[in-house]
Amino acid sequence: MAELDPHVIAPARLKLMVTLTAVSEVEFGTVRDALEVSDSVLSKHLASLEDVDYVKRRKGVHRGRRTTWISLTPDGRRALDAHIDALHALIDGVTTPR
Amino acid sequence: MLAQRIRTPPWFFTSIGAAIAAQIALTAVALSWSVGGSGIAALSTWTIAAFAAGVAVLLAVAGVQLAAFRQLNGVWVGGLLSRVVLGTGALASGAYIVALGAAIWSAIDAQWWLVATSSVIGGAAYALAGRRWFNAYRDEPARHARRESVVMLGLAVVAALVGLGLLLIYR
Repeated sequence: MAELDPHVIAPARLKLMVTLTAVSEVEFGTVRDALEVSDSVLSKHLASLEDVDYVKRRKGVHRGRRTTWISLTPDGRRALDAHIDALHALIDGVTTPR
Repeated sequence: MLAQRIRTPPWFFTSIGAAIAAQIALTAVALSWSVGGSGIAALSTWTIAAFAAGVAVLLAVAGVQLAAFRQLNGVWVGGLLSRVVLGTGALASGAYIVALGAAIWSAIDAQWWLVATSSVIGGAAYALAGRRWFNAYRDEPARHARRESVVMLGLAVVAALVGLGLLLIYR
């Protein structure tokens, strides 16, 4: 059975990774607003995911301001797919009494 | 969700469609100047200039609109470039090839109203295909966000050039 990925298991990181699948690249402030988190929280999660090569950051410009552009790496996409498969396998067949 | 917040700049699809229509018309007119009774004659300076003008119009409009999209949303979506601007979807590429073929055929026979009609229909279908892709993207962003591979784009360009060559040789 596929294993859950410990780097993606935190809800905020999972939301961040899923958000990144919707775009090729996103500006820091845009993803921060979409996830409704602070700059420091987002930076912390990005640093953790960057350490395992799941996301990459590059310096750039947006609306005339210097900013950071973020994207999911191929490794990150594979890890997210595997994590989602593991989640599906984990809950497969589970029924909740009503 | 991020994809639900993403919008296109004003006149995005319309301007891309208009640029495609202009590019089709200019290409058809350009090629008609260089086609004699037995096939392709030497390309004149005017032919090359008209062909280049069509490409330049498309590149300029696409460049401005893509920059506006990035500025407006703070995101880049590879699928937007390949599907909406480069028209790699079945509807856009099919409409483009048919419209370009009809426009070239009409231009060679000096049926200028048919050149204009084919170009406008081709541009409108291209814009419609782009809008359909955008709606699909907003429904399933992860599935539609990525562009096609560079190899597939290269093969599409080669196929288009071969088709254009065959059309001119066997018209």
